Amino acid sequence: MQQGEGNETEVTWEDQQNINTFGRLNNKFHELEDDIKLKKEMLENLEDASNELILTDEDVVRYQLGEVFCHMPKDEVEERLEALKEENQKELEHLEEEKDAILAQMANLKTILYGKFKDSINLEED
Amino acid sequence: MATSPSERRGIPAAPFVHDVQTYLSQSGLETNVALTTLQERLQQYKLAEMKLLAQRRDLQAKVPDIKKCLAIVQSLISKQGTGEEITLDFELAEGLYAQALIPETQSVCLWLGANVMLEYGCDEAEALLRKNLENAHISLQAILEDLQFLRDQVTITEVTIARVFNWDVHQRRKKRQASGESSA
Repeated sequence: MQQGEGNETEVTWEDQQNINTFGRLNNKFHELEDDIKLKKEMLENLEDASNELILTDEDVVRYQLGEVFCHMPKDEVEERLEALKEENQKELEHLEEEKDAILAQMANLKTILYGKFKDSINLEED
Repeated sequence: MATSPSERRGIPAAPFVHDVQTYLSQSGLETNVALTTLQERLQQYKLAEMKLLAQRRDLQAKVPDIKKCLAIVQSLISKQGTGEEITLDFELAEGLYAQALIPETQSVCLWLGANVMLEYGCDEAEALLRKNLENAHISLQAILEDLQFLRDQVTITEVTIARVFNWDVHQRRKKRQASGESSA
């Protein structure tokens, strides 16, 4: 919130609530960005693991389960990796959808708040 | 007009100021004193926010741990009735691994904390771990809601500070103009 020229525009409870909502959405947006980044890394790692698995000659590979490495036939690991990839892909899509919805709501609130307060309010980052 | 709850888990809600002039005259505070009070309040909110963020971090770290345990227990269950052994490498010390054979098993031991380990049937262990995971999610959700409430109060206080400040600037300017006109 900027401390501007001292223009006096009345701030109502409704305005305050809009500002609160905007703040919440902005926070959520950043959290989602972080989550999406992590998910993408996870997917890349899984993809790398799958590719390595195709290249290897070993029939039995070590698959990390919790703290230990399980000796597991290549086929089973392949299945597990595919299942994980699918699960993570779905989660990623879900996060992206949520992000888009939040951006739309933020754009909407920006129109309302800028419409009322003009340059007395600053909703941009940096 | 909607009103928000006056407090949540001992965190008082920030009062919303409808009109700065009325607020200052009713509280009988000088502008500077009012600003200091508001700043102090803001600091307290920020402190509470940091505590909640730490709690959230701890809980978020717990979730993957529980998931790891679940994955292992589920693997053990999937081997039940097949008579197969599981061969695995486990860590003896940092960077030092040994091989172990785990025969088909009906039970596992769960570390419950406080130096207690208890043997559970695999299915029971899975149920318990699922329950723990669910509880962790519920606590996490509660903390997220607390955080949202807290952030609203931070925003309200910040906006109030800006408004009191602006109002003060405005008043000074008016005074200066008035004195400029009278002396001219």
